[in-house]
Parts: sequence; structure tokens; C-alpha cells
Amino acid sequence: MSDAGSHTASDIELAAATQATVDKLVPLGGVVKTFKDMVSVTVPKEHIVEAVSVAKESGFAMISDVFGIDYLTYPGHQGKRFTVAYNMRNPDGNGRIFIRVDVDEGESLPTITGLFKAANFMEREVYDMFGVVFEGHPDLRKLLTPEDFDGHPHRKDFPLGETPTLFNEGRFLDPAAFRAGLVGADPGLTGWKGGAAKGARSEQDFGQGAGMHGKESGKP
Amino acid sequence: MSARDLGHAATVTREEQHGEFETRYMRINVGPQHPSTHGVLRLVVDLDGEEIVGIKPQIGYLHTGFEKTMENRTYQQGVTYANRMDYLHGFAHDLAYVLSVEKLMDARVPERAQRIRVALNELNRIASHLVFIGTGLLDMGALTPFFYTMREREMLLDIFELVCGVRMNFGYFRVGGLYRDVPDEFFPAVDQFLEMFPKMIVQYERLFAKNDIFVNRLKNVGVLSRETALDWGLTGPSLRASGVPLDFRKAAPYGGYEDYDFDVPTYDAGDALSRMLIRVDEMRESMKIVRQAVDRMEPGPIRDPDRRISLPPRSELEDSMEAVIFHFKLVTEGFHPPRGEVYVATESARGELGYYIVSDGGSMPYRVKVRVPSLINLQSLEPACLGGLFADMIVNIASLDPIMGDVDK
Amino acid sequence: MGLRDLFEKDIQELENEGILFSSLEKLVAWGRSNSLWPATFGLACCAIEMMQSTNARNDMSRFGSEVFRASPRQADVMIVAGRLSKKMAPIMRRVYEQMPDPKWVISMGACASSGGMFNNYAIVQNVDSVVPVDIFVPGCPPRPEALVYAVMQLQKKVRGEAFDQHGVELPMVEGWSR
Repeated sequence: MSDAGSHTASDIELAAATQATVDKLVPLGGVVKTFKDMVSVTVPKEHIVEAVSVAKESGFAMISDVFGIDYLTYPGHQGKRFTVAYNMRNPDGNGRIFIRVDVDEGESLPTITGLFKAANFMEREVYDMFGVVFEGHPDLRKLLTPEDFDGHPHRKDFPLGETPTLFNEGRFLDPAAFRAGLVGADPGLTGWKGGAAKGARSEQDFGQGAGMHGKESGKP
Repeated sequence: MSARDLGHAATVTREEQHGEFETRYMRINVGPQHPSTHGVLRLVVDLDGEEIVGIKPQIGYLHTGFEKTMENRTYQQGVTYANRMDYLHGFAHDLAYVLSVEKLMDARVPERAQRIRVALNELNRIASHLVFIGTGLLDMGALTPFFYTMREREMLLDIFELVCGVRMNFGYFRVGGLYRDVPDEFFPAVDQFLEMFPKMIVQYERLFAKNDIFVNRLKNVGVLSRETALDWGLTGPSLRASGVPLDFRKAAPYGGYEDYDFDVPTYDAGDALSRMLIRVDEMRESMKIVRQAVDRMEPGPIRDPDRRISLPPRSELEDSMEAVIFHFKLVTEGFHPPRGEVYVATESARGELGYYIVSDGGSMPYRVKVRVPSLINLQSLEPACLGGLFADMIVNIASLDPIMGDVDK
Repeated sequence: MGLRDLFEKDIQELENEGILFSSLEKLVAWGRSNSLWPATFGLACCAIEMMQSTNARNDMSRFGSEVFRASPRQADVMIVAGRLSKKMAPIMRRVYEQMPDPKWVISMGACASSGGMFNNYAIVQNVDSVVPVDIFVPGCPPRPEALVYAVMQLQKKVRGEAFDQHGVELPMVEGWSR
């Protein structure tokens, strides 16, 4: 049993590795975005395998995840409908980079299973959930949904498939209408009027420990 | 099962001439309903006698559509969905989800809440490893250790019930902190558990770790070398059993883990025995973390006081109109994180767990992608089982510790 | 104690002497109710609580469920523990059909009974639409004690001591034909 005394990349080394990767990806058409401490590079579809392989060599040698996002109903989104993101990390675990590709419906992407065997199930899931075909994948078929299931569930135009709730008296509740109040668009079926519930007046009713305050501390 | 069922690449048939005999590989189905597959996992196995020449996991029998459902629930309601994915280590999912949303919102979680979260997370890790040991040994035919480990797990579930109100599938973590403070009985209960548990681990080790049958059944079975494990994307204790000391609690600390002093056990053999024994060692390390977290706990608030995230205390609702408005907005709509996409990697009992949350500024997430460890770890079943015996396949599944709720999301 | 005593003495006197009278059906129902062997059909989180109900603290084997048979051909009751996805539903039906009569089904947990919190495209909203359910157990997950109580209710149902929601007595399981 060996000790965990391995060298973890320091912040400086990590920043250098990230910068080196980004520098190599920009000539491929990469567009860099940072948000909080996350770095993402959007590359065009033709260069995705090269981009992933560049990242693999420049220090982000592991792939954590391959997943898709459907931007159909994202407010203010321009551009292609789907994004397939490759979540890559360095072997020490503290550095991460996201390589993104924008695809439209019907477009296909080359597979990266040649670089990472781990991407096998990941790409199959993206295919199952979004319908993005990965060319060259050794075994591209549905992963999670039943074999006779048509459609790609995580697309935004695929309905959630809710069954209305039927009460004994015969009335039924449509869950989507019920939830509309949550979004704030309209009060929905709850008809919530707001305000404190009757009965609970003060902290004396509940004592210490209920709610936000811990022991011995007053109001923030 | 038809050929379409399995994919063209799954057919591993070969007809050979052995003298006058024409032989073929036998394809059998280890179906979803099986006592030893740790849930609804289906394996299609090609056998040459007893030796496995091809194995393909077919999953999806527990697909629940978590991610799509979470897109239709507010952020605070998402916590209830999170811990039903990996139901054995529910707090890991809760923590990962809540950390992601807090990163998006720039919420500041008070220290007491962080320490309680860490303590509960580690206790839950111990509970998960206890089930791993119990059911893993059950698969191999040892019935007794199951009852021993479940006895300890009952003590842990009593502690969870004390704090959260439920034994499993807790709804205790909130974005910004916790639902409520721990009661006073929590500390003596934890002390009692931490006092008697080391002796129990010694008991387990006496039950199986030195047992010849156990060791012979697991030694050099399902060997995953370092390169194979890394190539196939393995994470978690199974990876650490193959010689890679990667633990996200140390590598990229989150939620207060940088404060605690613990080791990351690593084995080099990469076989099923190391994968079993490493989790016993991890239980010891988790105990250390719980001890430190509980000892260093100071009184204080347990939620981010920012009214945009946390409900105001009831007493304020009488005096302040603002508090009433915040309360109303939070209860009817929930809070609105800013637009953006965020990911936090955490370490669950099974490996790297992270929630990638895309927010469009509304009160419900636009997209939640869960990077589940068990789905990726399950791919390593193929290199581990190929060339081994059929009976070893059961051992390999048990040692990789997949949870089908996690795999199928 | 000759054969004449059987005809001449009162039933109460004979019972005091150690002779029990019953009908064959009642005897068979009593035997069946006290040895309900479940088939393992643990799907998700409820399966863990089902496992916990067999552990040393909540011992379900003292109620007769001594072993959880892996093969449905040797089982009496199927405890559907967990959320049933639509992909798994045909398999569950197949396992149910493989069980020999008489058989019962306990739908454990909110997800099996009604879809639970998962009202979506992937989960069957009531297991009753796939197999006929005898006992529904609410909870998410139900405590092991709740499952043990459910098994006890099923035992009552098997013996003919149970009533449905309208107060009508449910019939005892038939001795020979079912």
C-alpha cells in the first residue's frame, strides 16, 4: 500500500498547462471563455479530435465526461442548437478544461474512442439523449432508454411525459399548469397568495435550532 | 435477444474445428433480475467453456430521467432528486449538487454548516462501504458478514434519522447550508459510534481478510493495470486500488475538505482483493475526518444569511415587509441564479461525481448533467473480466461497486 | 381416548386435550401465510431498505420470509422494491409469470405504487398496470418496519382475515385450485 505523497500540480504549473493548451487550441479555431474559474474552448467540428488530442498531450490527459446541451429554448441563444462538451482534467485532478463543439440537428461528430476508451458509454449516452451521431464509434446504439423507445429524451422539444394526477372526486391536476406558478409567469393552480402562515408568530414558538440560527447566536 | 439488441460489435462468435467437433462460443444472458448483479444490470457474456471471451453490459433498466425531471423543478427541489441517484451515498450527490449551485450563486456557506456537511458525508461514505462489504461477500457466498455490517449500518442510520428525520434519501442539505441545526444528541451518538467502530473493523478483517477462501477467490482476479484503469476512465477507490492516488478531496478540495488531515490509501495490485481491502481502509480515514469535523465544530448559523437564497426566520416576518417579500418569492418561485454554466468535481464513494448545471436565469435549471461515477466505472468491467472465469465476473462486479441508480440516472 | 370420544365429546374438551380442528383450507392458508418466500426484485433505494428488513434488527425471517429466493420459480411473493422503469416492465411481467401459483405482489415504496416523485417518460406510474398488486406500501423509502407490517397484512389477506377498502371481506386463498 503506497502513500499518497505524489506531487500534485501547483497552481502555477496548472495555469501554465491551461495557457499552453489554450494557445494550441486557438489556432484550430478555438474561442475561449472563462466563467468563475472554469475555462472552456469552443472549437469547430472538423478539429474536435485534434483538439481533444492536443489537450490530452498538454496536460489534460483524462476525460471526465462527454455530454450534450440542447440550447433550443435558451433565452438569447444564437447559433447551433446542440453543444457537445468534453470535460477533461489533468491526472492530478485539480485542473479542468471544457472543450465544446456546436452541432446542429442532423450533424454528426467524429468519435474520440480512439483516444479514450472511456468515451464509449459517454458518447452512446449523448447519442441516446440528443441524437448526435458519432462516426467511427465501435458500438453506437441506445444506452439508457428502451430499445423500442423512439425519440431523444433530453431534447427540449421532447415532452417530459407527465401523467396528470387523478383525484378520487374526479378532478385532475395537470402538473405543468401546477408548476407554472413556480416560474412566476402566472399563479397557476396553486393560487398562492404569499405571506407568513397563520399560527407561527415568532421564534419562541419553535425555539432555538429551527430555521437559520445555530446555538447561541442572535440575529445576523 | 436479437442481434440488434447487442450491436454488431458484440458478436464474438467463432466456429472452430477441434478434431471432429465444431465448437462455438456460448452466449449467455446474466439477466437484469439476478441476485448478484447489484441491481438491474444485464450482462451478455460470451463463454469459451468457463472463460469469458466477450462481455457487454446492457444498462438502462433503471433509467429514471433524473436530469430531465430536474429541469422542471426548482433548484431547492433538486436536492430531493439528487440523493436518489446514488442511494447508498446520497449525501455525496446532495453535496455535489448543492456546491455547484452555490458556486453559481456565489453563496457563502457558514462554517458550521460546512463541518456538519462533511461529517455527514463521511458517515454516509462509511455506510456505503459497509453495504459494499456486506453485499460483496454475500455474492461470494459468505452470509455472516452481511449481518455484521448491516448491524453497524443500522447505528449510522439511527444517527441520520436523528439529524435528518429519515434513514435514507435525506432531504437535509439546502443551497446555502442546511435545513436545520443538528440536535444535541448528535454528538454523543457520533462519539459512541466512533468509539466502537474501529473494533468492528477489526472484527470484519478477522472474518474475511485473513480467510483463505476469500483471499484465493479475490487475489489476482480482475486485474486492472494502471494504464488500463486510466484509459477506461475509472475513478474512485477502484482506481486507487490500481495504484493511482487520485482523490478529489485532496486534489481539488471542496466544501471545507482542505481543513482536514487524512490519508488516501492506495494499493498497487489492481486486483479485486485490493479493491475490497481499500474500502476498509477508507472507512478508517473517513472516521478520522468525522472526528476532526465534529471536534472543530463551533456554534454559529447554518445557512447563508443572504435572503435571496435562504428563507428568513419566522420572527422577522412580523416586522419587515422585505422579509415577507423574500419569503414569498422563495417559496413560490425559488431563487434565480445568474446565467452561466458551472461544474464542481467531488469524490463520492464510487468515484468522481460532479453536477454540470446550466442556468438560464430562471428558477429552474436549464440543464443538469450529472457526471456519475458508476456509469463510467462500469465500462471497466470489460477489461477486468476478459480472460477470466465466469465465477470471477461476479466478484469483479462486486469489487467495482456499481450502483444501478447511479448508472442509469 | 378412543374413537368414540371424538364423536361424543365436545370440541372444547377435545381441544383442551390437544386435538385441533380446522378445515383443510384454513390449514393450508395458515401454512402458506407463515412461509411467504419473497422473490428478489429489488430495483432501487427501496431494495436497500428491503435488505435492511432482513438484517438482525428488523428480522423479517421471523415472520416466515426465511430466504429470498433468487429464482422466481421457488417464490411466493414478489416485493417490487423501487422505481420500475418502462424498460424493466416486460421483464418484471416475465418474472411474475414465472412464479407458480399462488402468488402475491407487494408494491413497496412510492415509486412502485404510483410513480412517486418521477412523473416522467421513463417510469411506470403504477406497478398495478403490469402485475396485480395485493399490498401497497407508502414511503420513500418505507421503513423496514413498514415492510414487515406489509408482510403481516399480506399474511392476514392470505388467511382470509383482511378487508378491502369498502369493508368487504377478502377471500382466503384457495387450498387446491390456486
